[in-house]
Amino acid sequence: MTAGPERLLRSLRVSGPVLPLLLLALPGLFLTFLCARPGGLGAETRGGAWVQPAYAAAQAQLAAATAGGGEVSGWVSSRWLAVGLLVVLEALVIAGLVLERIRRARLEGLLAERLRFESLVSELSARLIPVSLGDVDTEIERGLQRVVEFLRMDRASLIEYVPAGTVVRIAWAVQGVDRMAPILEAGQFPWAAGRVQRGEVVRFSRIDELPQEAATDRKSFQALGIRSSLAIPLSVRGAMLGVLVFDSLRAERTWAAEVVQRLQLLGEVFAGALERKRLELLLAERLRFETLLSEQSAMFSSLSATEVDREIKRALRRIADFFKADWGSLAELSHDTRMARITHSWVTEGAAPRPSTVSLADIPWVMGRLQGGEMVRFSRVEELPEDAAAVDRETYRKLGITSQVEVPLKVGGALLGTLTFSTLGAERAWPDELVQRLQLLGEVFANVLSRRQSEMEAQRLRRDLAHVGRVSTMGALTASLAHELNQPLTAILSNAQAAQRLLRSDAVKRDEILEILTEIVEDDKRAGEVIYRLRGLLKKGGLEFTLLDVNEMVGEVARLVSGDAVLRNVTVRLDLAPHLPPVRGDRVQLQQVVMNLVLNGLDAIRESAGTERTLVLWTAKDEPAAVRIAVRDSGTGIDEVDLDHIFQAFYTTKTDGLGMGLAIALSIVEAHGGRLAARNNTDGGATLSFTLPVADQAA
Amino acid sequence: MSARAPVLVSVVDDDPSVRRSLARLVKGAGYRVEAFASAQEFLARPPDEGPACLLLDVRMPGLTGLDLQETLAIATHWTSIIFITGYRDVRASVKAMKAGAVDFLTKPIDDQELLGAIERAVARASAARREEDRITEIRDRIKTLTPREAEVFALVVTGMLNKQIAFDLGVSEKMVKVHRGRVMEKMRAGSIAELVRLADEGGMISAKR
Repeated sequence: MTAGPERLLRSLRVSGPVLPLLLLALPGLFLTFLCARPGGLGAETRGGAWVQPAYAAAQAQLAAATAGGGEVSGWVSSRWLAVGLLVVLEALVIAGLVLERIRRARLEGLLAERLRFESLVSELSARLIPVSLGDVDTEIERGLQRVVEFLRMDRASLIEYVPAGTVVRIAWAVQGVDRMAPILEAGQFPWAAGRVQRGEVVRFSRIDELPQEAATDRKSFQALGIRSSLAIPLSVRGAMLGVLVFDSLRAERTWAAEVVQRLQLLGEVFAGALERKRLELLLAERLRFETLLSEQSAMFSSLSATEVDREIKRALRRIADFFKADWGSLAELSHDTRMARITHSWVTEGAAPRPSTVSLADIPWVMGRLQGGEMVRFSRVEELPEDAAAVDRETYRKLGITSQVEVPLKVGGALLGTLTFSTLGAERAWPDELVQRLQLLGEVFANVLSRRQSEMEAQRLRRDLAHVGRVSTMGALTASLAHELNQPLTAILSNAQAAQRLLRSDAVKRDEILEILTEIVEDDKRAGEVIYRLRGLLKKGGLEFTLLDVNEMVGEVARLVSGDAVLRNVTVRLDLAPHLPPVRGDRVQLQQVVMNLVLNGLDAIRESAGTERTLVLWTAKDEPAAVRIAVRDSGTGIDEVDLDHIFQAFYTTKTDGLGMGLAIALSIVEAHGGRLAARNNTDGGATLSFTLPVADQAA
Repeated sequence: MSARAPVLVSVVDDDPSVRRSLARLVKGAGYRVEAFASAQEFLARPPDEGPACLLLDVRMPGLTGLDLQETLAIATHWTSIIFITGYRDVRASVKAMKAGAVDFLTKPIDDQELLGAIERAVARASAARREEDRITEIRDRIKTLTPREAEVFALVVTGMLNKQIAFDLGVSEKMVKVHRGRVMEKMRAGSIAELVRLADEGGMISAKR
């Protein structure tokens, strides 16, 4: 509090009726002087209670002196002494009265000030009630300013607890004093923070008052130049919202209990306003989110498959925007559930490129949750269980993910994929109410995904059909080739033989021979054209070289022929080597080769009398840097005589074969830089196989 | 070849080159030749009376060779068919042969093979034609019989005795003998055995049962 003398002067100025009091007191002195005996005019009716004992004591002394004077009544000097004493006493009384007056005035001043403060608090409280949400902060700031000015402090700050730490939400400081920095680092005030968290008020007039255990706090306060401080916890229904801090930097000051009390009251009002704002914002946010979700849901139901992609991406961006997330992604699980393939992704500008697949083995703990239909979210990677999710934590750290919410997309109990929103760097809380709604969007996406999957399945079927079509064109091609070549050949032969007959007969008709020869030439050209066109046709197919998974390719052929094999009562078995390196080639053409080998094998089995009717498709790593694809049949095997010729065009051992299949297969394999080979198995049947060089990954 | 008008060979193939060259070859061998681009075109021609041979491509747009074969089987008996095909189709050839085709030739066709096949086809067609003519003649003879003679004829060929026939028809044995003599005369049969054969060929026996 302010210094005493100043206060006294002020009190004196305030105490106007001191003079009349003195005037009243003087006659008393005079009367006392005249009567000089007890029972005279007393001072009981005047002055405060504390004066009474002194007054009584003086009177008692006077009485004693008078009594004593009875014994030495003859002494003039003793009488004057008594009067003198009385004067002194009266002076004392007057002084006491004056002091009392001063004190009273001071108390009245205090009372008035307290009243003014109280009215300030109630005014501030009243003002906050009707204030619109947007003005809450401004109004609180104005309130802080008035309180600071009123209590002659230096600075006031309203610090809010946010999930990532503490944020100075509203601050005000007198001129010449800096406002508090907007973000307080965690751990600066461990001791004070701990107490505030428990709902205790923390105050100190001098830094020395802080206990030993508050050494860190002390250092921080000193660093910030804070000499006295008062921290009032702000809570609503037991939830800590933040802390209201008043600082004094220019001088030390004390914090009177009643001031603290009033400020606590103010704190409650502020907290109430903030909470109201928070709730209303949350409600508005939720409403916004609901609108967003329902818009998206409605949108998806009416979209075609092609539009879906674009719309999913847009939805990801909108939701990521909403959550202030840096990355929104939709991932589909692969059929073998080993990978999550990110099909749609939105990344904030400037972020490092995101991966397109995530191996599920890298997030085992999270996957476990998602499989169980649970949503996984964390504000910080550290929130994931340390041991159980150690691998997951490492993965997220590598990916630069700080916080994340991941929603499982399930249809009919099967996990199809995930919907994920992540922040890259910033910690982010994922409020329950909103995240729960994400489940809804997850369902919409799951439906979209399953629709997409069925459409893709249909597409794959169509592709397969087209594929079967292309593969079977090889057969059709050879048939049509035969027919188209046969016609001119037939004409040529017949014409030539007709000419022979003509020449052998007696009457040689030159004109007719000439006509015949012309036709022969034409038909020969026509045959040549057929061959030329066929080559063009083979070329026109256009080799489309891509990286190929040999096993996948072989598996597809097996699937394509499975129906045929069942009809022929042949068991088709796959024996595929794992982890084969990819090859580079034209998928359709290579599958034609495999298909041709398989069909040859099935034919061989058909002709065989053996009881074993098995066809094995196997793949293996081959030296050097090659992959071998083989078709092993339990058929009739190949005659040694034929082994050297089977790859030649038009060489066939089949009654209805054309001898084109293996020749075409050979040219395809050689175009891929591979080799086609045939050998008989020691235990019957034959194995036809070809190699393909491993793809140069750099190419 | 006989001195009669040469046998007609029809070539049906949609390929003009093949059609022309085959026609030329066949014509060079002394046959009458007609060429058609489709089965429909062939069916639209005015029918030829004599025995005929048909060189027919199996695969043609529209009516195939096999379709034409079926159609012809109903219409005529004296046209022999030789199929020609681009490639060996076992199933088609079996079907064609069962339906009475003379041969199934694969293009390109050697002239010897072709002419041999045509000769066989013509022979078969001629035989069929003769057979047809004969049956027609027997039927004409049967038509000259009176109703009573026809009754006697029908019973005689079953091997019944005159006495039994007389009892069956309610006439005298003598009258049966007279009718029987007329039948033998009208049918130009020298013996009962020949009469039975004529009855068989004329469709009398199968008709009775």
